This record gives sequence, structure tokens and C-alpha cells, in this order.
Amino acid sequence: MKTFSIGGVHPDDKKISAGSRIESLPIPETVYISMAQHLGGPAKAIVAPGDRVRTGQVIGEPTGFISAYVHSSVTGTVKSVGLRKDLAGIPVVHVEIKTEPVDEWADGIDTSDTLVTDIPQDRQFIIDRIKNNGVVGLGGATFPTHVKLCPPPDKKAECLILNGAECEPYLTSDYRIMLEKTRQIVVGAALMKKVLGVSRAVIGIEENKPEAIKAMSAAVSELQKSSADYSGIEVQTLKKKYPQGGEKQLIDAVMHRQVKSMGLPIDVGAVVQNVATSLAVYEAVQKNMPLISNTLTVTGDCLPAERQKNYLFRIGYPLSWIAEYNGGVPEGAVKIISGGPMMGKAVSNFDAATLKGSSSILYMTAEQTERKLESSCIRCGKCAEACPMGLEPFLLNKLARNGMMEELEANAVQDCIECGCCLYSCPAYIPLLDIIRVAKGEVIRAMRARTAPKK
Amino acid sequence: MTTTIIWTIAIITILGVVLAVVLYLVAKKFKVEEDPRIDEVEKVMPGANCGGCGFAGCRAFAQSCVEAMNLDNNFCPVGGNDTMKKVAAVLGLEVKEKAPMVAVVRCSGTCANRPKTNEYDGYQSCKVKAALYSGDTGCFYGCLGCGDCVAACQFGALSMDPETGLPVVDEEKCTACGACARACPKRIIELRNKGPKNRRVFVSCVNMEKGAVARKACKSACIGCGKCEKACPFGAVKVEHNVAYIDFEKCKLCRKCVVECPTGAIHDVNFPSPAVKPALKPAASEPVAAPAAKPVAQPAAPAAPEVKVSAAETGKKVEPEKKSEE
Repeated sequence: MKTFSIGGVHPDDKKISAGSRIESLPIPETVYISMAQHLGGPAKAIVAPGDRVRTGQVIGEPTGFISAYVHSSVTGTVKSVGLRKDLAGIPVVHVEIKTEPVDEWADGIDTSDTLVTDIPQDRQFIIDRIKNNGVVGLGGATFPTHVKLCPPPDKKAECLILNGAECEPYLTSDYRIMLEKTRQIVVGAALMKKVLGVSRAVIGIEENKPEAIKAMSAAVSELQKSSADYSGIEVQTLKKKYPQGGEKQLIDAVMHRQVKSMGLPIDVGAVVQNVATSLAVYEAVQKNMPLISNTLTVTGDCLPAERQKNYLFRIGYPLSWIAEYNGGVPEGAVKIISGGPMMGKAVSNFDAATLKGSSSILYMTAEQTERKLESSCIRCGKCAEACPMGLEPFLLNKLARNGMMEELEANAVQDCIECGCCLYSCPAYIPLLDIIRVAKGEVIRAMRARTAPKK
Repeated sequence: MTTTIIWTIAIITILGVVLAVVLYLVAKKFKVEEDPRIDEVEKVMPGANCGGCGFAGCRAFAQSCVEAMNLDNNFCPVGGNDTMKKVAAVLGLEVKEKAPMVAVVRCSGTCANRPKTNEYDGYQSCKVKAALYSGDTGCFYGCLGCGDCVAACQFGALSMDPETGLPVVDEEKCTACGACARACPKRIIELRNKGPKNRRVFVSCVNMEKGAVARKACKSACIGCGKCEKACPFGAVKVEHNVAYIDFEKCKLCRKCVVECPTGAIHDVNFPSPAVKPALKPAASEPVAAPAAKPVAQPAAPAAPEVKVSAAETGKKVEPEKKSEE
């Protein structure tokens, strides 16, 4: 069975909510749609207070090359456009909309459930649909998909990799869509394959999701019988190891190629997209449906079994409202995380609104989140063994604490993917990632500053 | 036995002499001509190598002074005017006197003024904390309280007050090198004029949020109401982006703004007596202020001195303002 070659850890996968079918959430009275839901320049709000918006209507326009459209997820009246705190407490422009209970969809959107399997042959048409419907990568980084699907002319894509690894513990949203929206994901893969002009597409799924592997394989062979557009798509079972879902790790696992320091996947001919992105691409291209909804897992050890849920939410729903709908914050939860326990962000503002890339509300208990007292590094090398990028976190930690920028750069701190394997494996409880992350940011800024004037 | 010792001593002595000659010749041949004045200037420097002047150390500063045409752009904040006078004497240049500076912490978000909204349990460093999120209080702009500034200070002039959770500057020890200001990720610490008899007036807040939001997060936040701007007879106060700033070059320390401030965000330090509202003398100015100040603010004014407002008092005082804000 395939997996990436260096590092990695094996946290308990705890997929408690795996058995819960995706439920649609009702529409709350007020939604707050953020204009910064993607990597790159935040969108510019094009609505004003008092405007009536329909579901799926554009309310934010991209600013710059790496940016994306933002659409209204509800029908209603714009109450305000202004700064509101996101889940880290940082003020971001949000559009506040007072909702109406019944959706009135914008023109041209197909809201039926019928599966459209015919692949449009016009490449530009597919890209335009993806761009105009504001599709961004839903694997975590929310990088605008249309940019990723248009590599520079001197680089040639060879293989499309769909990320169905879902290597983070607890999260089950990708697993559920792979079971429930199986064929849509495969159609999405075929669409992206068409855009990239590649002959091969690999859907990588970890071994701990046998049903998903079975369902996806069946859907692929079924669709391959219907049309030649689906040839070259295969499902690849991967060994369970964190961080398999990391872009560079997945390329290593599937293609046995390594992306060099500061390089992009396209350098080795790979384009990686999440399965949820594939679903969004299907909806955008075949149904002209903007990216206004996604699946979110509500889970945690302290949450009762009947409340472990996978919800289909729309963007702009306050997290606290979803938690309230789920039955409130459970007893014993001391920390709420948005995202997985390894890479997710602790929520400091629970009234923050959901974004395109929101994937979970994860309740952690005091026991799980307690930071143990830091002791001295004993040079055991566990962190270096665990690092999937082949770095030496113990060394980077020392260098960062002493502010040795040149040495940090020479030791490739800029390659850190912030997966947290070092912190997870450290027996001395040294906050390695906390320190390395800041140093990485500073080194990358210094590197950019150095190259900028030459341009 | 003795011959061995004699031989050893003889050989080592000869070796020493030969190598000394070689070293001497090499030193002569490769001698670097350096302006002797650099050494002289370095001698009068404080020798802290803190980098507060913007150079890598005292020697680098001395070199730049020697090379410079005038000393307008070179200033040693640690040594101050005395050192600069000595430097000027060595180089035979003129030096403009600069007012001594001191680091000022512009945040009054004490534990009492600014309640915590969440608990931070990560690595105790402001830099790390600021990179993660807005901080454990409702204020995005305020002090994070992990003490990066204290760690940055070479002179032991900063310490964290465990009661308020804010850094405190020891004016005697502070040399205004600016290391703390650079270490603070929130840019709260500013170098300001030390002022006559160390007396200073400054706005102890950098919150750029709208008034209502700012005060919800912190009782002593600057709400950008602009009363201080109107009260200042010298045009030293400017309200920009919902926060007031006092230009220390223009400020004449009259403290009219201190008494006007409804939240106690403007601090005055080292004054012998607290600022009092001129209740009796300018009878004409009173009614002008009255409509804006609302009735509750009035009773506090004439009787008691009320500048260092405690948290409870501030709370009472801000109540009516809140309504007018909304």
C-alpha cells in the first residue's frame, strides 16, 4: 500500500461521526458573509445596505489575480456591510443579510438533483464557470481553483490527484460526501481532467475508509462505461498516516515524486484538489451553482453520540448558531476548534460566520487540550523522525529562539507545512510548532523582500 | 635530564623570537589604515551595543560619525546629549541638542478595564500570540501581556505588572533605545519626549475601532469622541481612525484634555497634583461643555480631584456616554 516516504505520525483517527448522514441546516434569521473566504485579495462587496439579494447572486467581486467571487447564500435584505470579527477575532468585511425563509434563486442556476454526466468539451467554458461561481480549494488553504487549474504555459500537468485522504482525526465531512455524492465527485474529477488536459486522475483515499474506497471505485467503473471522458480515473488506497492529505505528501504517495523546496506541485506535473473541491466544481460547471455551501462535521469526545453530525451548511451561518441547533456546547468542552485537531484553529470568537472552507466544529476536553510543562530538549530526534518535510524541528526551535534568520533559512524553515507532527511527538512538550511557525513567516517575508526589488 | 630541559627552553625561545619577527613583519605589511578618531569616538560611547542608534554597535556608530559631514542624522539615545557633545568635541563638529526620550506604553487595558474573552494557553510570546489571533481580550489593538518587550530590554527598564498585566517602564533606567517598541507586535510602545521634570501627557490607547466597539472591549479605551481635540488650545491633539494622538512637540502640558476625556484614556504622569477641571474661573466655558458631557459627568467635576480614575468610577462615568454613542 502506498504512502509518503518520510516522517508522519499515527494519531488515533476517532472518526466518531462517520456514520451520520449529511443533514441540511435550516436558514438562520441573519447571516454574515465574509469577503475574505479565500487565499489572496479579499473580495470587494458590491452590495449596499437595503439591497435585496437572491440566493446565488454575486455580492463580492475579486480584487486581483488571486481572489474569488463571493455569492449570497440566502435570499434577503442586506442590513449592513462592515467589519466583523472572524474566528480569530480579526476584523474582516462581512455582508450582513436579514434572510427570508424561502429561497429565490438567481437566474441560470439548476437546483434539481439530476446528475449531469456529459462533460462540456470547451475548456474555457469550464474555467469560466469555476471562476464565476467562486470555487476555491476546500482542503484547507482555500486557494482559488481556477488559478490552480491554469498552470503557467511553461509547466505541463501530467496527473490530477484528488485528495480523499482526510487524514485529520475526527473529521468525516469528506468521507460522507464520498459516500453520498460519489458520482458528482467523479464527474468533477473528469471536468478538471479536461481543463488540465491530463490523461490520468488518481483519487487517493486512506485505508481506514473502506466504504468510501468501494463506493468511489464502483462509481468510477460505472461512469467509465458511459463515456470516454472518464477514462484514466482510478482510485488509490493509501496507508493511514498523518499528514497524508498534505499536498506534497500526497504527490509523494501517489506519484513518488518530491516537490523541491519552495516549489509548487506543478513543477513535478501534479495538480492536487480536494474531493470537496471536486464536488464544488461539479456543482459550478454542471449546475451553474455557486459555491455557497459545504459539509461540516460537529464532533468531539464530549459530545453525545446522537449529536455527532455532518451538516450541509451555507456560508455565513454563525458557528454559535450551528452549535445551538446541534443542542448547544456540550458539558466538558473547554476548547472549540474549527478544522481538525492537528491543523485546525482554536475558535476565539464563536459568533464568527462559516466560510467556504469551514470543515468542522470540534469540541475538545480539558484533558485533551492541556499543555504540559515544557522541559529541556534531550535531542531524542523524535521530531526529526516525525517531520514529513525532513526538517529538524529541534534545531529550528533553537535557531528561532535566538533569532538566527540566515541559519533558519539554510535549514529550510520555509518548507514547514505546519502539520504539527513535531509538537505531537515531542516528549519534552516543547511548543515547537508555535515557535517555528512565526520564524517561518519571518523568513518567507525576508526572502520576498529580497527578491522583490529585482522585479 | 638537565640537557633536555636546556634544549627545550632554547628551542622554544628561538621559535618564539622567529615567530615574533614573522608576526611583526606581517602586521607591518598588512596593516589596515583606520581613522584614529574612530577609536576616540568609541571611547566616549556608552558601549552598550544596543543598536538603538540604528547601527550594529557602538563601533559602527562611531565609524559612521567619523565619516559623516554633520551629526544631524546620528544620535545615541542611550548616551543622550552628553555623549553627543563629547562625540562632537572629538570630531570638531556641531551637534543639535535633542530632548531626552522615554518609552511609553500606550495601553490601559488592565485586567479590570479589559475583561478576558478567552483563555490563551499557547507559547507565552507576544509574537507567537499575535501571529495566531487577536488576543485573549475583546481588543484587537491592545497589549497581549506576554512580555516580549521585557525580554527585549537590555537595561532592565521594563517589567510586567502582575496586577494589571501590562508592562511598566522604569524611567530612570530607560535609555529610549527603542528595542521594546520594535519587539512589540502591536506597536503599542512609543518613544516620546521625556518632558520637563519628566511630566508627560499621552493617550494611553491605540484602539482604532469605533467608539462603541472599543469601549465594549475595554473600559478605558479611546473612543475617538474628539473632546480632547476641541479642548486643546495648542492643536496638539488629533483624532484619526477613531483614536486620539497627542503630538508631544506641540503639547504644552496644560492637561485640559485629561479632564475632558470621558474614559480616562489620556494619562498624565509625574505631575505633583491631579488635573482638575477649571470649574470656577472660566464660567463661560462651562455651559459649552455641558450639553455634550451629559448630566452624570457633572457632579464629579467640581468637588473631588478625579484624574486617576479607578475602574469602578470609569464604569459609572462611561455609562451615559455609551447611550449617546449608539
